[in-house]
Formats: sequence, C-alpha cells, structure tokens
Amino acid sequence: MAASTAPVRRAPVGKRLGMAILPVYTGFVVLYLFLPILVMAVFGFNDIQGRFNFTWQGFTLEHWANLFNRYPALNQSLLNSLTVAVISTLVATTFGTLIGLALTRYEFRGRGPLNLLIFLPIATPEIVLGASLLAMFVSIGWARDITTITIAHIMFNISFVVVTVRARIAGFDRALEDAAMDLGADEWTTFRKITFPLIFPGILAAALLAFALSIDDFVITQFTAGQTITFPLWVYGASRIGVPPQVNVMGTLIFLIALVGIGLWILLQRRELSAAPTSMER
Amino acid sequence: MTTHRTRTTFAILGLCLALILASCGIEPEDSPGSTSSVDPGDSGATDSAAPSQAAVGGGEPEDVLNFANWPLYIDEDDDGNRPTIDQFEEATGVDVTYTESIEDNNSFFGTIQPALAAGDDTGYDIIVMTDWMIGNMARLGYLEPLNVERDVPNFLENADAVYLDRSYDPGNIYSVPWQSGITGIGYNPELVDEEITSLAQLFDPELIEKYCGQIGMFIEMRDAMSLAMLYNGVTPSEATMEDAEAAQQTLLDQAPCVRDYYGNEYAQGLADGSLAITMAWSGDVFQLQLDNPDLQFVVPDEGGILWTDNMAIPKGAAHPNAALAMMDYVYDPEVAAQITEWVNYITPVPGAQEIILQHVADAEAEDDAETADYLRAVAESPLVFPTADMLDRLFSYKVLDEEEERAWNELFDEVVAG
Amino acid sequence: MPSWLRRHRGLVPYLFLVPGGLWLIAFFVIPLITVASVALQEGSLGTGYRLTFNFGIFPDAIARWDTQLLRSLQFGLIVTVLAMLIGYPMAYTIAFRGGRYKNILLLLVIMPFFTSFIIRTISWKFILADQGFVLGTLKDIGIVEPGFRLIATPVAVIAGITYNFLPFVVLPLYVALERIEPRLIEAANDLYASRFQAFIRVTLPLSISGVFAASLLSFIPAVGDYLNAELLGSRNETMIGNVIQRLYLVNNDYPQASALSLILMLGILVSVFVYRRVLRGQELTV
Repeated sequence: MAASTAPVRRAPVGKRLGMAILPVYTGFVVLYLFLPILVMAVFGFNDIQGRFNFTWQGFTLEHWANLFNRYPALNQSLLNSLTVAVISTLVATTFGTLIGLALTRYEFRGRGPLNLLIFLPIATPEIVLGASLLAMFVSIGWARDITTITIAHIMFNISFVVVTVRARIAGFDRALEDAAMDLGADEWTTFRKITFPLIFPGILAAALLAFALSIDDFVITQFTAGQTITFPLWVYGASRIGVPPQVNVMGTLIFLIALVGIGLWILLQRRELSAAPTSMER
Repeated sequence: MTTHRTRTTFAILGLCLALILASCGIEPEDSPGSTSSVDPGDSGATDSAAPSQAAVGGGEPEDVLNFANWPLYIDEDDDGNRPTIDQFEEATGVDVTYTESIEDNNSFFGTIQPALAAGDDTGYDIIVMTDWMIGNMARLGYLEPLNVERDVPNFLENADAVYLDRSYDPGNIYSVPWQSGITGIGYNPELVDEEITSLAQLFDPELIEKYCGQIGMFIEMRDAMSLAMLYNGVTPSEATMEDAEAAQQTLLDQAPCVRDYYGNEYAQGLADGSLAITMAWSGDVFQLQLDNPDLQFVVPDEGGILWTDNMAIPKGAAHPNAALAMMDYVYDPEVAAQITEWVNYITPVPGAQEIILQHVADAEAEDDAETADYLRAVAESPLVFPTADMLDRLFSYKVLDEEEERAWNELFDEVVAG
Repeated sequence: MPSWLRRHRGLVPYLFLVPGGLWLIAFFVIPLITVASVALQEGSLGTGYRLTFNFGIFPDAIARWDTQLLRSLQFGLIVTVLAMLIGYPMAYTIAFRGGRYKNILLLLVIMPFFTSFIIRTISWKFILADQGFVLGTLKDIGIVEPGFRLIATPVAVIAGITYNFLPFVVLPLYVALERIEPRLIEAANDLYASRFQAFIRVTLPLSISGVFAASLLSFIPAVGDYLNAELLGSRNETMIGNVIQRLYLVNNDYPQASALSLILMLGILVSVFVYRRVLRGQELTV
C-alpha cells in the first residue's frame, strides 16, 4: 500500500481540526435528537399545581407513584394500544414472513405486481392510507372501533415486515438446506431445524419494527378509531387541554424499556457472535 | 415484466375498478329522517313539534348505562374517581361506563352516524351534544323522544325557566341541558393595557394591530362566525347568507393578526402569555383565574354567545331508563352544585348557587380557608352564575340546515386554512 | 409434508402469498378504489351519498386548495433537503469513522424515536415556546427581541417535520455508504484527488441509491404530514394534510376529502417519477 503523496499537504493543526468537525457535529446532532426526550423526562417530575405542565414548579415523584391511578382513561388507552400492537404484530409478521419466503425462494408469476403491491403502502402517505380506510368503512357501513384499528395496523405492517425479512432471507445460504436434505431430512424438518432458526433474527427484527410502528401510530389510527382511544390518541386529546405529567412519565418509561431491550439485544448479539460460528462465516 | 403481462394486469384491474365504482355508494338505510326535505324558511325551530313515536322510558332503570361526554365535564377527585357517577351508581345500582369520547360535535356524530343510519344501537345511552347538533340530530330522527314530565321531574322542578323552551328543542322533547357556557373575550391585562369591552377590540384590524400575533380565535365555525356577526350588528340566529359572507370578510380581515385558530388550546396560550386577547369560554377562563387571578373574561357590549350542551338519548339506545334516571339525578340541586363546583360552567339549576354558598359556610366552619375561598369564588363568579345584565347580551347560535351548514363551512374553511 | 401438497408443489408460493396478499388487496387496494368512488359522489352524512360521477370535484378542489397543496410540496422539499444536509454528514461519520461504535451510534440516532411521536412534538412545542427556556432566556439576555416567536411560524413546522424524519434519512444513507469500499477512496487519493474531490466524485455518486431512498422516505411522509402543522403552526402553515383531516373528521365532507387524497397521491407520484428521472440522468454522466 503506497503512502499517499498528495501535492498539497495540509497543516497538521488544520487537519486535526478538520478531522474533529465530523465527530463534534455528530455529537451536536445526537444532542438535538435527544433534547425533547430530556425535556419530556424532566417534566415528568414537575410538581404542578394546576392543569398546565410547562413551568417548572418543583420536584416530585408523585406522578411516578400514581402513574396508573390518576387517569383510568389513560390506562385504558395504553391497554388498547398494547392489544392492537400485539395482535397486529403477530398477524402481520406471519403474513409478511410467508410473503418474504415466497418472494425469495420460489419462482412464480406476478412477481412484479406483487412487489408493487408491497411497496405502495410504504410509499403512500399515512393520511391517504387512513383516509381511504375510513372512506371504505363508511361506504360499507362498518363502524370504526378497535377492530378496524387492528385491521389497519396489520395492513401497513405487512409491507414493513416483508422488506425487513426479505433482506435476511436473501442472505441466507441455501447450501445449508441442501446439506441437511442430503443427510436425509425432509423439507419440513429442514425448515424447522435449519432455516427457521437462522432467519429468526430477521423475523424478530421485523416483529419488533411492526410492534414499534403500531404502538406509536397516530395518523392512520385517528382515521380508523371511531371513539376507541389508543395511547397516542389520548395524548393528542390531552394536549389540547393540558398534558398531565403522567404522560411524560409513561413516555419516559417506554423509552427506558426500549433502552433496556436494546441493551439486552446488543449483549445477546455479542454472545452469539463470540459463540460457535454460524452461516455468516464462509 | 413483459408488456403482455402488464397489459393483462391493468385490464383486470380496470374491470374491477369499474365494477366497484359502479356499485359503491354510502347509503343510509331507511331511517325516519333520511328523506326529510329541508325547509328553507325554517331557521330557528326543528321540523316538527310532536314526534311520530312514543317517548322512551317509563320503566325501571336497566343494569348498565353508557354515558359519553366531553373531557373535564363532570366532577373528578384527585384519585381519578368521579363522585357524582359513584354516588349515582350507589343510589340506583346501575353500573355506569362514563367515557370522555366527545371532542367535537361533528367528529363524534361522524363516528356514530353509521349505526344511527342503520337503526342500530350506537353503544351509548346518553350523549352530550351542543344545541345546534341536537337540532340537527332531532331533525334527522336520530334521537329518542323523551317524556320529561314523567321521567325527569327534577328538571321541571329545578331548572331555570329559560331552559324550558329553547329554540333548538322546543318543549324539551329530545334533550335536557347539561351545562351552558358563554363565548366571549378573554384577555391578559399584563399584555393588554386597556380595558376590553367591545368586539371591535378583537376584530378591527386597526385596533388589533398592536397585538398582532397574539390574538386567538376559535376553530369552531359557529362560534367564530357568530361572534363576527355580532360585531357586524347582526343577530346570529337571524343571519342570512349575506350576513355570513360579511362575517367571513370580517374574519379574513382579522386573520393576518390572528396567531392561530384553537380548539381548547387557547387556554394554554392565555396562561403562558402567548395570547393577549382571545375568544374564550367562560369555564376555561374561570379555571385559569384560579392560577392567575388577573386574567379577565368579558361579554362584549355587542354581545356574546350562550351555548348549551345537552343530554340526549340516541336512537336505539339499549338502556333508556337508566339514562333518564341519570338525567333526573343530576337535576337535584345538591348534585348540580357538586358538578358545577368542579366543572365551573353554567349550571341549569339556579338553586345550586345557594347550596355552594352553604358549602362555603361549612368549609369556613372547619377552618378550611382554601376550599372556602375556592367555593366562594365559584358561587360569586358571574362566569358561573351570570348576571341578568350579561344574559341580556347573550345570543344563541343559528340552527343551520344542511345547505347552509355546507355553505358556512366553505366560507369558514377559507378563513382557517391560510 | 402432506402428499397433496407435494404433488402441487408449484402452488406453495401462491399459498404463502394468499393471506398477506389478500389482506393488502382488501385493506389497501380496495380502500383506494373506494376513495376514487367516494370522490365522485355527492350528498351528505344525513341524507346519504349518491354516485354522480362528479368529476368536476377535482378541478374545484385543486382550485380551492392550491395554496395548501403547493405549500405541502414546498415544505416536503425543504424538509428533505434539510434532513439530507443534517443527516448525510451524520451517516458519513458513522459509516467511515464509526469503527467499533457504529452500532451504538446508529442506535443513538434511532432511540429518541422510541417515544411517542406526539409526545416528542409536544415537547418541541414546549421547547420553542415564546417564553420557554430557550426563547425566554434569549429574550432576557437581549439577543432576541421580545416580540419574536417560533411557534406558529413555518420555521417551527419545518423543524418539527425534519426532526421526525431524520432517522429515516440517516439509516438508508448509512446502509449505502457502508457498502462503499474504502479502498476506492484510497485509490482516488492515490490519484491525487483531494479529500473533497474524492468525496464529490467517488463517495457521493456511489451513495446515490441511499440518497434516493432517503429522500423518498422523508419527502413522502413530510408532504402528507399534518400533526406538526397543527401543533406548531398557524393558519398560514396549513398543509393539505390538515385540510384533508378537517374535511374528513370535522366537516364530514367525504367527497371533497377523498378527491384531495387522490390529488395528494398523484402529486407525490409525479414528484417521485420526476425525481427518479433526474437522478438517473445524473448517474449516467461521470
């Protein structure tokens, strides 16, 4: 490897400064990304007197203490959100994984239109997705409630699952399957013992993505909810009156849980990597 | 992808499209009001005085009651319980499901309309709608008629006479009032160094120049248009199409200085100092005054709006007797007082004021100065118990038919969407 | 595997496709067709709607709401450019300088988005408040004049939307940049290209696919967004999403709202196709 001999050499100080710009910039961006989170977390400890939570009035832990007592409607909305998220994740992940398997491992006609069908929901603005569902439900007289929310969430999640799973399945080494079958395993056993465990991380990632998208969905839910309230809808309604600190606490909690989850995931990955080599080694 | 396959695909899709387009339509099934024609000259009253069906009720309350209301519209304690609901449950044995699912009259109506059109149970036994929506729903046949004399005697006994015959529901065939409120002007004397007494100080572009960017208006079409009409010297309930267009022009002239068109969030604007002068509701300002006593609410000289939110029973409700029992229950002056002490809007039961003053005396006897002061503020506030002078200057919304509503919406949409 | 399935092996992929495919057709395609149908209907919620093939509604709607449509496209464009300007250096740093911390940095970018979208936007409303801790302090010091405000201005809305879609920009850019062989850049340096030249002529073109994906993933949702405009903007920032939402959920004016939804989709599709053309053109020149 030849050392680079560029005709113009920058002065060391300037170069070091130049090198530092990008990381510093990254630091600022990360700070900017986290600012609202910080604000949200801090104001979960605000000791408010009246209804409004935007001037600091003192520190208190009471909102953490009576997190689930104060607003029964808030609890119900969380329950609704979780219910919808769990069901839509399970269904969408199943449907999407099947489609992903079909797309990457089988030959069939209609590939083009299918790809379009999968891609379009991702490319359509949420408001159009939600509004069109509303229009259809109204047209056929289907009252909107938690069922219609779940239907909508399954719909948009399928596409995301397919895209996520496909990447993982495509990178999967078919030679392993062939090897298994050469050794006498039938298709189902091969799938169960070889294929599925190896593509499982991709499926899991897709499921997590679907879950996150469903829990936080606002626009599509607002159109298909009728009077059912999910957590984002409750926060939105409350924001017009005065967001109670319990919302901040819950947001902080969700964030922390996700943080812990990610931490565990990283730890697991490290362990998986340092354990016996998988198909990633060629 | 071969062109042959593309063409086939599109051909099939096109065929499906044509078939579905041809058969699609949003048809309401046969409901009493779906074919009703609109009387162009009928601006104040509902279609017919006497309902074609017999009133609901007259039986024992069922086991369950589904009550839909606006947020913060019934008393609540610090643990999230609702004393009035709990007491009602204890007194009658009815299990109440109280949901604050009404954020907007039209939005809510949009969600229950499919059931009403199909003649199904909406899932609610009591809904609380603003007066004009009651008028609309009654005209469409979507409300159950009531026999107030038989089933809600407390109303006849305790309600103020003015509620016994409102223009949107003469004879109280379909509804009884829940709470009323005043739409007027709220302002922050720290930012406004003069006294606000006239709508001109809210609408006149020259006068609002110095507060440009700190003016608040409602996104509620009827509130905003009616106030503009009052500024133009028009009585809202008698407004013509020309008056509406003039009102729109007033609003458009005002718009450059308006910070935003709010639902309930204007209260936060007043509280945090981003709004100097704004349209406001009496109950909200009263509550803001608890934190900041300097904030003012005024019924302008030209007039303000007195609106009433009413309890009604949607058609096909499963538990009408329980609903009527609840309606009767809240007209007991003690209960009315309890609700008003928390909600701070205008109760239809004038007797509540005396009871609140009694509570003041009780609190003082127990050396609870904080509660006593608060309750006294409630009992003596003209925002909760308006004076006759104020009531003289208060007007009602116009009850619009469909044509008018669409036209007014169009006019107002232009104002709200820049 | 059951014998009948083994015999009809060719059917297996279709079987896999059926559940998801049918769901998408039933709840994505058909609703879109319904929107087209409802747009052509007339009537009201009380008296019912009839399919009258009212094609006139499209030019009417465009004429009435042209300001909002243009504004949405405009905002979408600004947001995309901003997000690209902010996100590209970010993605570059993570891809080329990240080293062992790559994954952690990526996670740092994504993590804020584990909180509710609404809560984040409301927090911004609070941060940017007239007398909030940012502006209030600046006003007290005197850097900013007392009447200045950010909320209810286009700045707040654009800032809010950009913030919300930043990870959607950073991630695809990172993926594209990460695939670039560092040796290519070394080769460029060996051939006397400065760092800047190497970037412009090697790195950037090689990351175009990421740029394309990133711009789509921010432009499309940005154009249709309405929450930021509602919470952070005034009437002068009303976007077409706000109009559609109001017409659907407040006015219950389904035909006009449906027509606008279709127009919005069309506007986006056209923009995407034009953009794709432009990028392809760029790729061909060296």
